[in-house]
Amino acid sequence: MSAVMIAGTGNIPFGRYPDRSLASMAVAAGLKAIKSAGLVAREVQIGFFASALAGKLFGDLTIGQNVFADMGMSRIPVLNVENACTSGSSAFYMACLAIRSGEVECALVVGAEKMCVPQIGLLSSGNSELDTLLGLVTPASFALRARRYMAEYGTTREQMAMVSVKSRSHAALNPSAQFRDSVTVEQVLASPMISDPLTRLQSCPIADGASAIVLCSENMGRRIGARVRVRSSVLKSGNYMNPQDLARWQTDYDGVNAAYELSGIGPEDVDVIECHDAFTIAEIMHYEALGLCPLGEGGQLVESGATSLGGAIPVNVSGGLLSRGHPVGATGVEQIVELARQLEGRSGRRQVEGARVALAHCMGGDKAADTKSMTVTVLTI
Amino acid sequence: MRVEKQSSSSGVIAEELHPLLPNLFEPIGSDGKRFGLVGGYCTHCDRYFFPLAEQCSDCCEPLTRMIVGERGSVYSYTVVRTKAPFGLPEPYAVAYIDLAESPLRIFGLIDPGDLDDLDVGKTVQLTVKAIGVDALGRHCLRPVFRLADTGAKRCSS
Repeated sequence: MSAVMIAGTGNIPFGRYPDRSLASMAVAAGLKAIKSAGLVAREVQIGFFASALAGKLFGDLTIGQNVFADMGMSRIPVLNVENACTSGSSAFYMACLAIRSGEVECALVVGAEKMCVPQIGLLSSGNSELDTLLGLVTPASFALRARRYMAEYGTTREQMAMVSVKSRSHAALNPSAQFRDSVTVEQVLASPMISDPLTRLQSCPIADGASAIVLCSENMGRRIGARVRVRSSVLKSGNYMNPQDLARWQTDYDGVNAAYELSGIGPEDVDVIECHDAFTIAEIMHYEALGLCPLGEGGQLVESGATSLGGAIPVNVSGGLLSRGHPVGATGVEQIVELARQLEGRSGRRQVEGARVALAHCMGGDKAADTKSMTVTVLTI
Repeated sequence: MRVEKQSSSSGVIAEELHPLLPNLFEPIGSDGKRFGLVGGYCTHCDRYFFPLAEQCSDCCEPLTRMIVGERGSVYSYTVVRTKAPFGLPEPYAVAYIDLAESPLRIFGLIDPGDLDDLDVGKTVQLTVKAIGVDALGRHCLRPVFRLADTGAKRCSS
């Protein structure tokens, strides 16, 4: 089995692009990734395109073939990946499988979303699900976790708001982030209530955006000077057992532990993390599943500053979903783009000094009070 | 199923409405005022399911159809203030309910009249109301949980 390396990365800043198509954003990110790898189109042997919402919003199907054809990559196998918020990281997972199997030497993953459009509506887990029909929208599913978590552990609204404050302070250093102005705990709590106890500034905003990664085998990586190694790439579905414990997310623990085990790397080894902070409570709960602090102490961890840039284990130094914005299909790819650049020492003012081990964590979908899919990727240099 | 529906122009009218989904709830008892949630039970695995599925997700044997809940307690709740989907009132409240009659923890809509009095641990009772529309935009009956009258109402002081 071949090891998998990251050969190149590309993205466009996340924001609003009313005059650009989904495909044109995706192509721009893809071409940047190819260029940064020092490769040309014909060296890519398989393509994966991730978008979660194009079918729903535009009625478009198999857009990946359009994107790869526009980049000069026709004829090669191209797959379209939809896996909710983990669409991009699931595409990355599949690219790792393709290279690890020895079937290809080089793969290109492009994740993109265009969602700043009038028909966006409310995001849920699908209109034929009973829970959706009974009113389960995405903010509510995290608000229900937050309420239970607060009741069990005494975590405060102020501690949750500190996740947003930290996120904005990081995003100020990231030109690709959408919201870069600083906010205070008071401003976060005074913003409009979305789903009690979560306010608007504790909820990730929509965005347009695209991100891309070129992956290659160890042989090819040696030839082109690739430095970042994929130590584990894990994709898991939920267990959907009933009852689900909303304050201790079993699938979160299972996915993280599988990635640690596969890579032989533990939480004490990790230097920088991008996690799925769709809402503030999510980041606090992920701290615990990631092994950064004991159960129930996620609120204290963010309050201590340990997860801020300059702290013991910086989390979401890009600004995360909360400040970068969450173009669903791009997010899972962008997390890995951010971390690959951190390991290469190319992150400018938000560089985590001496970072050698990085972890990307993403979750998507909602079923039976569990996540439908989660990915964890461990990278080293 | 026949229920009373409030109409702004002509007061209370009677209208034939269908349930949100088939096999979701049904009347229990003789007075027609009580409702139970329809779920399934696997005799091999001793596992309960809601909503009713065609087979057990562990052993794939058929499930026994049964009422899995009528009462429960609030495990967690939230009041949703986004634009409401499916014609639900704005705002509306939802909760996870620990059912009393089975070990299930299920997602449910809260009676719009009980938004201000919700708390973790409170007892709720299933009822059925004409609220909102189904996936095809038709008015329909939804199962909702209302705060139960525990017989220990506080005196106003």
